[in-house]
Amino acid sequence: MDEYIVRMENINKSFAGVMALQDAKFSLKSGEVMALLGENGAGKSTLMKILSGVYSRDSGSMSVFGEETGDLDTKKAQELGIAIIHQELNMCRHLTVAENIFLGREQNKGIVLNNKEMIQKTSDVLAALKVDLDPNTVVGELSVSKQQIVEIAKALSIHAKILIMDEPTSALSSKEIDDLFRIIGQLKAEGCGIVYISHRLEELGHIADRVTVLRDGQFVMEGDFKDFTMDQLIAKMVGRDITDKFPRVSCKKGKKIFEVKNLNAGHLVRNINLEISEGEIVGIAGLMGAGRTETTRAIFGIEPKESGEIILNGRTIQINKPFDAIKAGIVLVPEDRKKDGLCTKLSVSENLALPNLDWISGFTGKVNKKKEKELTDKSILNLNIKMPGAEVNAENLSGGNQQKVVIGKWLARDSKVVIFDEPTRGIDVGSKVEIYNLINTLKQNGVGVLIVSSELPEVMGISDRIIVMCDGRITGEIMQEDATEDKILAYATEFETKI
Amino acid sequence: MNAKQSNWINRKFASRGMQSVVSATFGFVLLFIIFSIMSPSFRSMNNIQNLFRQIAPTLIIGIGQGYVLITGNIDLSIGSVVGMSCMTAGTLMNRGMNPVLACLITIILALVVGVLNGTLVAKVNLPSFIATLGTMTLARGLAQLVNNNHNTDFIGNTAQGFRDLLYYGNFLGIYSAVWLAIILWIFFNFLLSKTRTGRHIYAVGSNLDAARLSGVNSFRTILLTYIISAFCACLTGLTLLASAGMGTMDAGGTYEMYAVAACVIGGISTLGGSGILPGVIAGAGIWGILQNGLQFVGAPVALRNIIIGTIVILAVVLDIVTRTNSKKTRRLLKKQ
Repeated sequence: MDEYIVRMENINKSFAGVMALQDAKFSLKSGEVMALLGENGAGKSTLMKILSGVYSRDSGSMSVFGEETGDLDTKKAQELGIAIIHQELNMCRHLTVAENIFLGREQNKGIVLNNKEMIQKTSDVLAALKVDLDPNTVVGELSVSKQQIVEIAKALSIHAKILIMDEPTSALSSKEIDDLFRIIGQLKAEGCGIVYISHRLEELGHIADRVTVLRDGQFVMEGDFKDFTMDQLIAKMVGRDITDKFPRVSCKKGKKIFEVKNLNAGHLVRNINLEISEGEIVGIAGLMGAGRTETTRAIFGIEPKESGEIILNGRTIQINKPFDAIKAGIVLVPEDRKKDGLCTKLSVSENLALPNLDWISGFTGKVNKKKEKELTDKSILNLNIKMPGAEVNAENLSGGNQQKVVIGKWLARDSKVVIFDEPTRGIDVGSKVEIYNLINTLKQNGVGVLIVSSELPEVMGISDRIIVMCDGRITGEIMQEDATEDKILAYATEFETKI
Repeated sequence: MNAKQSNWINRKFASRGMQSVVSATFGFVLLFIIFSIMSPSFRSMNNIQNLFRQIAPTLIIGIGQGYVLITGNIDLSIGSVVGMSCMTAGTLMNRGMNPVLACLITIILALVVGVLNGTLVAKVNLPSFIATLGTMTLARGLAQLVNNNHNTDFIGNTAQGFRDLLYYGNFLGIYSAVWLAIILWIFFNFLLSKTRTGRHIYAVGSNLDAARLSGVNSFRTILLTYIISAFCACLTGLTLLASAGMGTMDAGGTYEMYAVAACVIGGISTLGGSGILPGVIAGAGIWGILQNGLQFVGAPVALRNIIIGTIVILAVVLDIVTRTNSKKTRRLLKKQ
């Protein structure tokens, strides 16, 4: 028998005339983890959606378990044993864990749903994953990382022989990632073929056996993972050498510009004290649910504050709503760019203009199209946003370019403090570096920068000083020169280890 | 933490909207007591029987609207389908057609409207508000067309049996319209809460993409809800025909709004994904008791409308407030 359980050759796919895949090629053996790499828009997700029946291909051949498949739909793909964990979480938040896991293939007893059996089977899968989760919990009440685990459990419960994971760790904490890797090892041993898409190259070293690289919808190379260094892989992905993954600029630290004193807001923001100087990048590290995002939201006036003082340039300011913060010169680039960062149905230029309408529009309120265009052109040039044109909807941009638009919104104002929440989540290496460069430019211009990031290499690579949070409190502060992953993790789990 | 089982019941009902059902039922009982104290004739056996007969059409049409709302859509055409059914059946009966056959033809016609709605929404991907706004006007036009823009004559001469059965008929002291509502409710509640179809309806309303990617046939699911909705509207129309004794072109005028109100008061979210059918009973009950009771305590029509409108808004606000609060507290409790 063919050792390959999946063979895809000469796959072509276009969307509205734009080629997403051109003669793409892919293969998978049983019992291996195949890393699928490429920049945003390289066609990784499209290729995997074709394999799992979400999209149909325009042309090309595809065989699964040695047999040529016709056009698949999601149901047929499931029956073939192909499961996919999508990048965007696809859960019905009103349904329970068990209901989600069995969605679309509910078990019946006669004509009535057999809830008991489905709950039992869900418990079994969760137990196999060693996850402590009640199958009857409503999914909408779970944290993002738990929802991700439900997705994984769902894929496992159909006894998938081919499991596709698209960025499965983007919302997981390091402990949960370890659990996931343990599960992947377990599945590998059972003969499952796993396709693993990730922008986190560091983690691939632990699990990947082989690697396929795509660029601009085309096949670049395939090979054993261990034969390549990180830098070689990155070069293959972006088509050029990236010498410095975390570019760093040094500039003189100025006077203290921003200070938060005794900030309290809800359970996850307890007694936060922090300060930022001009031209300084302060990183906030911590595990999921440590209260980092909540802290930024409280500072920015999205969540109500119980107590605390915010001092900008030596003056205490009142921030009750985001507009107060923006007016004062404090801006936030939020964690979820699609939900909080962009109006996806508006054009790029409308998005860029949105928070700047106060100075773009005259005193009658009429938007000055000339100023708007100037602003758009300047932003696109400075940020190197790649897109068909400024009038396309923001939703049509790739993740990296969307993020640049979100950042661009704020750069058009002379902000004094810029807060980034997970600025590079789900973004490819090339765009990441561009975003780091932007952040560095801010730093050189004397802006105080606060960055929340779950990726330790990123926090350590870009910040000048790192604050670590655990359970809503600040548990440690480390200068960049002294930072190690172990030190940060020790602070980040301070309360957990004490119990 | 308690035992898993009780936890399950709590969670399940919390998610699907059991809280609103409990509060709406409480509201119904409270209103019943208030009106009973204020007006002796309200609490007469005669009126109570009547009250339930008034609630029945709202309940029937509310069941259908509930199905559509749970998928995250809305059906504005049902009021016109009521009128269309009322006129079609009335006209056919007046022309001497066998009432059973007349009803069957009427039901088929209504189902065509349901299929049209479902196709426009789920296949052509029109926003349900727009699509059903169109079919609402269309169905009203048909209601006017069937008898040449005239209301029908009294049907008592040709189809007295139909009236006797559906309007005067009663069994165990309960009018047949109420029985019809009860039977429909039991059937559709079973379908929604116990079967795969029902589960798919919640899934589609909760997250259409996720449901599709899990292999749920979203077109068929949404189509079915519109067919059920049109079917329920048709039966409401037949009930109205029986009670009025003649087909009127503007029958069921604002019934689509009655249906939405009954659902929303009963905790079926217009955003989709949540709500249970017991809520429609409570919602239709509150709706009916206000109409009936306010009349008995002598409130003029204008005041009645103002009171009922206010109560619908309050019900939604209360629902949103309690829902967000309870979620927040629960999350906090979990963290601690």
